[in-house]
Amino acid sequence: MKKRIFETLWPGDADVRRAKILTAMIIVQVLCATFFLIDVVLDFDAGGHPTHLALETFVAVVLCLGIWVLMIELRALLVRMEQARQGLRVARGELAQVIDSFFDRWGLTSAERDVGLLILKGFDNENIARIRGRAVGTVRAQSASIYAKAGVDGRAQLISVFFEELLANDPPTGDARQAASL
Amino acid sequence: MMSDMPGLNLAEGGRDSARLVRVWDPLVRVIHWSVLLGVLLNAVITDPEGDLHEIVGYAILGLVVLRLVWGFLGVQTARFTAFPPNPRAALAHAGEILRGDRSVHLSHNPLGALMAYNIWATLIVICISGIMMGTVRFFGVEWVEELHELAFNWLMVSVVLHVGGVVLDQRRTGVALVKAMITGIKNIPDGISTK
Repeated sequence: MKKRIFETLWPGDADVRRAKILTAMIIVQVLCATFFLIDVVLDFDAGGHPTHLALETFVAVVLCLGIWVLMIELRALLVRMEQARQGLRVARGELAQVIDSFFDRWGLTSAERDVGLLILKGFDNENIARIRGRAVGTVRAQSASIYAKAGVDGRAQLISVFFEELLANDPPTGDARQAASL
Repeated sequence: MMSDMPGLNLAEGGRDSARLVRVWDPLVRVIHWSVLLGVLLNAVITDPEGDLHEIVGYAILGLVVLRLVWGFLGVQTARFTAFPPNPRAALAHAGEILRGDRSVHLSHNPLGALMAYNIWATLIVICISGIMMGTVRFFGVEWVEELHELAFNWLMVSVVLHVGGVVLDQRRTGVALVKAMITGIKNIPDGISTK
């Protein structure tokens, strides 16, 4: 429940949020520790009471240990986030290979490949025409040609071809892999 | 490659295509801009004799020490091992720049690294001499005050060089360095290799 309120107040990636909170905590605690430690030094310089000084020093040391722990936590979190990103990058690379191999297999022209990629990215014909600086009619003809070569009915079926490949339980069909490695 | 259109390459991290690389972690960025803010406050706004000047100085010292500890404990690009102080490498790098090499260093480049160490050391000298001026033992001692001012002047020279270096490197490589220190991400242009 608590978490939910927090997430509505501050939406976004939970790990990114955690990293920001840890960073803020570290900075604030470092500032506190600095003032405390300098106070100890100045008290010592002014000849403060030894018991008081000992207590202050102990508190300052504990504070520093706390900061140390937070820094280790932050590093672990940042390393984990980087690994997750790397995993995503690998997945993206594999998806790109799958797409490449299908486009190869269907024998798409280079213009059709660009249009096909934009279709997969969710752009409609008008937007694709604008991005590529072509007439809408040209793009419509190119996408019709893509659907025909792929043997699908349209946009949704074209996209499902790639999802099927990625979600399939059995190892990837031989020709997709072969085409990719060529 | 799938497509030659910019922004369409699905496979990130291709050797020489344009790409985004996460380089500066949040701690490094927050420390960098907080120290800048602190230095500006104490150089321009606060009264050098006043309490606020002292408090801001303490904060800067704490932040610099934190950055130095993070140089041992932190993530890869924040560590000293990613940018060791190496005058020979700095000279070699200067030579590369003159010869028109445009490769990008993911952490500090060797010249930038020297500047970072220089600025940290200078800030620590300024902070410690400042604290000493407030102690019973060193109150009114002339060399401490002179050291404080001398180090401050050197800091101003360093800051000018630092900003100049950033501007030059931005021109040389096309990587938006200031933006990278804000967002943490270096946008490395087409056809530039990284080290």
